Amino acid sequence: MEFGFSEGQKKLMAEMREFCMNEIPEDYDPEYSGRFQEAETLEFWKQFHQKGVEKGWPTAGWPKKYGGMGLSAIEQAAIASEMSYWGARWGGIMAMSLVAPTILAAGTDEQREKWVPPIARGEITAFEAFTEPDAGSDEANVQLRAVPDGDEYVLNGQKTFISGGVKPDWLYTLCKTADVTPKHRGLSIFMVPGDAPGVSYRPLPTMGGSQQNEIFYDNVGVPKENLVGELNRGFYLAMTTFEFERAAGGGLGARRSMEKIMEYARQEKLNDKPLYKDPKARDMLARMAVHQHLGFLFGWYTAWHRSQREKLGPQHYNSGTLWARLWQEFDGEHMRRVFGMYTQLKQKSKYAKYHGRPGRTWEYMHAHHAAGSPEIRRVVIADRGLGLPRIPRQFNVQINEALRQG
Amino acid sequence: MDFALSEDQEMLKTMARDFLEKECPEVMVRQIETDERGYSPELWRQIAELGWLGISIPEEYGGTGGDAIDLMVLHEEIGRALFPSPHLSTVVLCGHTILDVGSTEQKQELLPKIVNGELILAMALTEPESSWDGKAWDPEGVTVKAAPDGDDYVIDGIKLFVHDAHIADYLLCVARTKDDGPPEEGITLFLVDAKSPGISYELLDTLANRNKQCEVVFDKVKVPKSNIVGELNGGWAPLFKSITTGAVLLCAQMVGAGHRIQELTVDYAKTRIQFDMPIGINQHVQEHCVQLVIRQDACRYATQYAAWALGQPGQDMEVAMAKAWCSEAFEHICWRAHQVFAGVGTMAVLHIMPMYTRRGIVMEHYLGDTPFWLEKVALEMEKLPLHQKTKGKPLGLWDPDRKQVPVWDIWREYAESL
Repeated sequence: MEFGFSEGQKKLMAEMREFCMNEIPEDYDPEYSGRFQEAETLEFWKQFHQKGVEKGWPTAGWPKKYGGMGLSAIEQAAIASEMSYWGARWGGIMAMSLVAPTILAAGTDEQREKWVPPIARGEITAFEAFTEPDAGSDEANVQLRAVPDGDEYVLNGQKTFISGGVKPDWLYTLCKTADVTPKHRGLSIFMVPGDAPGVSYRPLPTMGGSQQNEIFYDNVGVPKENLVGELNRGFYLAMTTFEFERAAGGGLGARRSMEKIMEYARQEKLNDKPLYKDPKARDMLARMAVHQHLGFLFGWYTAWHRSQREKLGPQHYNSGTLWARLWQEFDGEHMRRVFGMYTQLKQKSKYAKYHGRPGRTWEYMHAHHAAGSPEIRRVVIADRGLGLPRIPRQFNVQINEALRQG
Repeated sequence: MDFALSEDQEMLKTMARDFLEKECPEVMVRQIETDERGYSPELWRQIAELGWLGISIPEEYGGTGGDAIDLMVLHEEIGRALFPSPHLSTVVLCGHTILDVGSTEQKQELLPKIVNGELILAMALTEPESSWDGKAWDPEGVTVKAAPDGDDYVIDGIKLFVHDAHIADYLLCVARTKDDGPPEEGITLFLVDAKSPGISYELLDTLANRNKQCEVVFDKVKVPKSNIVGELNGGWAPLFKSITTGAVLLCAQMVGAGHRIQELTVDYAKTRIQFDMPIGINQHVQEHCVQLVIRQDACRYATQYAAWALGQPGQDMEVAMAKAWCSEAFEHICWRAHQVFAGVGTMAVLHIMPMYTRRGIVMEHYLGDTPFWLEKVALEMEKLPLHQKTKGKPLGLWDPDRKQVPVWDIWREYAESL
């Protein structure tokens, strides 16, 4: 049992720290709640990414053949951990952390060569187009059809709640390719050009102002070679992608949050004393620190488990994915209790407290539901992790029918 | 970064579990519970033979010189089996303190006897007043006085919630020897022969019948000066170091107990049939199981980290976090389990849950509860360095007053429509 880092890992983290400190502008504010992704900030992160590429860091865990360094999950997490302290991110993050690993794992050699290197260089933006109006928690209920027609597939349907504020180069689209029971064995994933004829977009701003989109596919032709992995195996790929998405964590970002809120609690006054002397605020601060430390440990447990996969086998359940959501809820509650009326004030108000963050925890609810609501995650842990029983799927239709008939 | 136990630790874990399952099954725990001594001298002798009493004591005193992680592994199994014994009092709270600051004579005299099971020791710290006003584990709470009298000190006052005092050979009495100055600089530790004239004990009627706790009255008890452990007026720091280790081990006991509760609860949810189906098919029941498991995982990681951090500099905050979290979380775990077991889980004789729950209430408060350790976390947070600053050329992009122009045309149109 060892919770420290090896000399090699420490060196890697020190280099990363040095890099972040020197490259990130002194006026950068990781807590800044910008409403839109915009050209200038995006340009900055792209350049940051390019400089990282010279060191090999953005893709440190990928095989060397595809521009990676072949580092272990622990070292990858060490890099991510250091970055999260600074609030740094690579450009084209979704393509890099979600799409590319799946293509690496399941794509053809041609696909790997076509997409992985530009994704590694941060040149490609991709959206993960999974959710539909009738396929939320029930991801297998995707209705967007892909029908073979000569050398291509023709796509018709609609996606919704797809995050992103930059026009995507590629849509990593989950489609229905067969009418089978169970439904999840009839899904496939295609890489669809973002500007393909027949694709159109509509903005869907969330209550926190972040950018999500509706995407419509109207007779969109996609070459057959854009099928990722095997036909009708798309659901399993999607689940792999979710694993990547859900497993992100273990960052020192928690450390930053702790230092930041403490910094604020030293400056802010309550009853002529620094805020941190107030019993209610003190309780909040300490609890937030505990939750953040636990988040750090859950994240590292996941990274460690992954690095030991050969020895330990797959993780039965990943409670870290649920924890991340729970502690945000806990902390939001604690903050609202301490900040009271001031919770309402946004960052720009001259009376705003703690940069308008206390209310933002509520406003940013949408983030709780990405890659599965906490509720569906609980069901996954209960079902796949603990082996608790569930109603066999073949009865769902009958139950629904019985309910309708009263 | 490695969450795995070493081979030796895995062996210790297996050995401890096998031993306790065989020698201290539920029926044995219940038997010991009804015994006024609250422990089994026979089992105490056996665990001494197994080396459990010397696990963290250096070899020169007959122990095996293990670390806090070894202790954690052992206490997880103790917690799982609900094994009633004065291990924590004797080896950790008193033994470690003597090892850290005792004189050479004290160490040579006492530690080998602790290791071979001849001696039981108990820490007499908490008092009626301090336990009521939230200062039980703070130096301010120590008001029982020890006054010099020739070659002796005379201790006078009442200690309350003293674990294992009635079976102890020695009490490590924490007494005030100086009134002025900072409260932590006027405390001295006395090794008091438990049979000294003037000491009387009364067992407390507590929820948890084992883990016997006492009121100990010191009525002008004479203790020779040579029985001071550590320095005069310098007792608090070494004592608190042992208390901190003890708190992490209580967390380990909760982790062990919690894991057993998790196994029992999930198993019950799978096998108990109501409405012609296992109750675990209901998402209300699943919710209880999952909330239990996630807290249990958090307890485990926090405790493992803390046990590792006990041997590391600059980790006081992370150590404090373990007990701050586990105390509350274990209570929550018990509650979730009770909700799944419903009626049967409340049966004192038929079911094991009441024993875990009652033990949980002891562990929650013993050696500091959640508010106490959260305050320690807050004190450490005050020492946090300022957030380090980046040094790159300023770009002026993150100013909330700056007009933002979305990069994508559909969003530009949307922004303009606002």
